[in-house]
Amino acid sequence: MENINIICVDDEREVLDSVVRDLDELSELFNIEECESAIECLELLEELDANQEYVAVLISDHVMPEKTGVELLTEVELDPRFLGTKKLLLTGLATQADTIRAINNAKLDNFLEKVWDPAELLQTVKELLTEFIVERGIEYDAYIEKLDAPTLYRLLK
Amino acid sequence: MMSKYLKFILPVIIPLIILALPASSFGIDGLTMVEQRVIAIFVMAALCWVLEPIPIYATSLLIIVLELLIISDKGLWFTKVTSPDLGNLLSHQTIMATFASPIIMLFLGGFFLALAATKYRLDINLARVLLKPFGENPKYVMLGLMIITAIFSMFMSNTATTAMMLSILTPVIALFARDDLGKVAFALSVPVAANIGGVATPIGTPPNAVALKYLVDENNITFGGWMAFGVPFVVVMLLIAWLLLNSLFPAKIKRIKLDIKGQFLKTPKAIIVYVTFIVTILLWLMGGLHGMNSYVIALIPVAVFSMFKIITKEDLKKISWDILWLVSGGIALGVALDKSGLAKNAIDAIPFSSFHPLLLMVGASLLCIIMANFMSNTATANLLLPLVAALGASMHDVLPFGGEVALILAVTFAASLGMSLPVSTPPNALAYASGQIETKQMAKVGIILGIVGLLITFAMLYILNQIAFI
Repeated sequence: MENINIICVDDEREVLDSVVRDLDELSELFNIEECESAIECLELLEELDANQEYVAVLISDHVMPEKTGVELLTEVELDPRFLGTKKLLLTGLATQADTIRAINNAKLDNFLEKVWDPAELLQTVKELLTEFIVERGIEYDAYIEKLDAPTLYRLLK
Repeated sequence: MMSKYLKFILPVIIPLIILALPASSFGIDGLTMVEQRVIAIFVMAALCWVLEPIPIYATSLLIIVLELLIISDKGLWFTKVTSPDLGNLLSHQTIMATFASPIIMLFLGGFFLALAATKYRLDINLARVLLKPFGENPKYVMLGLMIITAIFSMFMSNTATTAMMLSILTPVIALFARDDLGKVAFALSVPVAANIGGVATPIGTPPNAVALKYLVDENNITFGGWMAFGVPFVVVMLLIAWLLLNSLFPAKIKRIKLDIKGQFLKTPKAIIVYVTFIVTILLWLMGGLHGMNSYVIALIPVAVFSMFKIITKEDLKKISWDILWLVSGGIALGVALDKSGLAKNAIDAIPFSSFHPLLLMVGASLLCIIMANFMSNTATANLLLPLVAALGASMHDVLPFGGEVALILAVTFAASLGMSLPVSTPPNALAYASGQIETKQMAKVGIILGIVGLLITFAMLYILNQIAFI
């Protein structure tokens, strides 16, 4: 089985904990990584890449010191090593200009507003995971119980 | 308006006319019905490959299916009616076997190696490490780029190599001033090196594979044997191309920095890829020592990568099956020309012996390079090599000049040297798409390198003949 990661980035510890708690159901089959800043996330990405692990979904807050979420996601979007990584922005404090940049430059796959509905977050991440696995040509059989069935059927058709 | 439809009409009408003509009108003594049908298929293939009414690989498939239908022992009932001038029907198994000929397997092995190298980022990481010693002087960075592109295109497809190198290069080209000719040199250096680099190994480019089909028995060339003359040829050509690009399009910028991110992967799978790569290439180079030929060795990476799930069933879909079919069609065309007896009959009927053998060699190479400039290198090789091989086999006059092998190699190299237009090769098309090059700049470089390349090819064949290699 491949190592497939879901990375969560938020500078507030409590928020990060609650995102991870909401995604807990996925932790049997996928690694859920936590980062408290964009810099930490970039370091983690280098490490995961060197071990040839997949980064399927990157969930990031926007307002963070040093580097914002949109800057982080844009950087990942432009890096050919992370082609296909699904990017989700989870924030309550994005201006319209931020949002436009996020969509145009970071090619965001999804946008959720804080405070989020845990079920919706989980469902969104499942859909993104399914898309990533099928698009990257990873054998999906092993992960099938945690994937989103309608998305899987649509992509395999 | 009519001309728009001609490319669809001609490939149908002309072969039909050929089929309808009386056998005596071809000027070949004792032409059989099967041979006449082979002529029709050959002409149809030539028209389809030149005019491209259908994709070039589809033409190859059409050749194979038409051969099965009208010149095989299991073809349509009315094509098999016994008559004194029917001729030899080909076995359907022989025609179908072209899909799995050892040459196709050699290419498949090459595809697996290339696919794994890309998937495990061996290519980009090697490029990063190998480019470092070339510093930041634009001249030497370009030399480095060309050497690496050429090395990669020996084992990967020229197109994939070009795409990868251009993606590294594009952000750098953007830094050049608007009037700096250096960006033209850089944008051209990659396709030029990729086209030239393919010559160096049997798996470097499809025309080489087609040539191998005709280099059998006493003319057999091993993988290492091919590289022994292919690599020096590439080295000389690269050096000339580098000097030419630097003098035609000198760079004004003083420093240039290629930034390639990443590091070598160290997972068990990545290590299996590295080891398999090295072992396969070593086995290829060691030729005679272990008793396996290059076709057999090529299947080792196929098995290893499949076993360890390095190439998954999803990756299999990414293999360029079209190239394999394109080559198969060429092989099938050659089989038909040969097994029906047409090639020998036709060559006997034309008084080639009245030509000087060197004139023949130069003429065939020139025709090949001209065709390769306007159409696919592989299709050109598919059309010309069966004829050239038959010609070489029947003409004892070429013997003092290296014989059949020299003739085949000259034409094969010529096919790879056709690179003066954006349509000449896929690498040229990719580089042209960058928008940095004008057609006339590409043409200037392509024509000079084509002519110089042919001259070097002849010089190389002369030397090889002198040292009794061929």
